Amino acid sequence: MSTKILHKDQKYIDGLVQNNSFIIQAIYDRFVPKVINYIKNNSGSAAQAQDIIQDTLLVIYNQASEKKLQLTCPFEAYFFLLCKRKWLNELKKSDKKEVTISDEALFKSDDAQELVFETILFDKKQALFEAMFQKLGTACKDLLNTTFKIKSMEEVAASLGVSYAYARKKKSLCIGKLTKLVRESPIFKLLKY
Amino acid sequence: MEDQDYILFEDYLAGVLTDDEVVDFSNRLQNDVAFNQAFNTYKDSSGFLEHKIQNQKASAEFKENLKIISEKHFKGLSTSSKIIKLTPWQYGMAASFVLLLGVLILNIFSKPKYKDFAGHDNISLTVRGTHDEILAKAENAFNDKTFGEAETYFILLLEKDSSNKELQLYTGIVLIELNKFDEADSLLSTLSKEPTAYKNKATWYFALSKLKQKDFDACIKILKTIPEGGDDFKSAQKLIKRLG
Repeated sequence: MSTKILHKDQKYIDGLVQNNSFIIQAIYDRFVPKVINYIKNNSGSAAQAQDIIQDTLLVIYNQASEKKLQLTCPFEAYFFLLCKRKWLNELKKSDKKEVTISDEALFKSDDAQELVFETILFDKKQALFEAMFQKLGTACKDLLNTTFKIKSMEEVAASLGVSYAYARKKKSLCIGKLTKLVRESPIFKLLKY
Repeated sequence: MEDQDYILFEDYLAGVLTDDEVVDFSNRLQNDVAFNQAFNTYKDSSGFLEHKIQNQKASAEFKENLKIISEKHFKGLSTSSKIIKLTPWQYGMAASFVLLLGVLILNIFSKPKYKDFAGHDNISLTVRGTHDEILAKAENAFNDKTFGEAETYFILLLEKDSSNKELQLYTGIVLIELNKFDEADSLLSTLSKEPTAYKNKATWYFALSKLKQKDFDACIKILKTIPEGGDDFKSAQKLIKRLG
């Protein structure tokens, strides 16, 4: 990825990260109508298109803000393909079928499809981490919330009324617990990463 | 993995291992596949938590903004494509409503109007010696008061330079002129909170937007935040008096 040239449409990705209303508006004006048409022509409604588009933009925002997403293809192709994959997945879900990662691999042929694949993988990983985080006990959740909100571990220890060494140990063990839950999940094996 | 391994992962990521310990750790990463894989998942877990927790506020703001823009977009689509047929009694109701609206408007007439206060001076965006066609077109359209046209150019300019406060201010004014109040208010409200040279001017226009929307209470509240000696302080005081 690093050797590829950044596409000028990176401005849309940056605009999403900056929560720039004009860029978001421009995305809706320029790229959304095509997605609505596609979904409406494929057994969907405008309301379903609205949800798919909102979810897709949220995933792009998350990936861009967490993983510094670099766009190497036109935004339109990337966004449309992503919405299309999401919609097809929804249709398959209603037929009780899941799109598997190996299915997604079939679409890996050019820059846009490769990026779409990465975003879908990111989305699935996020969902898995979130689900496993929710399985942690309250004590671990509270400790992790505090340790990641307050950057200095000395301050964390003070705010929790425990020693610095104990706070660090507990943080490691709670992240360890999350790591273990993630690795033991059947979805983790499907994600193959 | 054992508890000790997770503690070691955290120490490595926090950079508190000694040089020798780092060498041992790197060797283990190379030679022990299970250790390597567990470390990668631990790193991902840590990255996930860091982003989830530290980005909570920004993420919630993004979701909210996205929801507003999305709803506006889809509402626009449904209203532009629907033709509602009215029955005679519905026409009667509509006529009564118009009459009622007329009475309301008459009552509001006694209040100051946006146009009385929104006299924009000509703007100058182009820099001598350089030529930017869109910048020149935006400037001309604004000065000619063809705000629909100006909006197109300002949006193009902001896409290239989204953090430019001067462009944001003029775009805010254009949006008020076009009665696009949600967008104007969101832009000017943000700009009025930032410590830039355009802060007071943005506050003034944010208040004028509320005036144009006939939200007089909000208008007064915003006007009161313009500091004494700041741009438009006198005009703000005059408007507060007229609204009082």
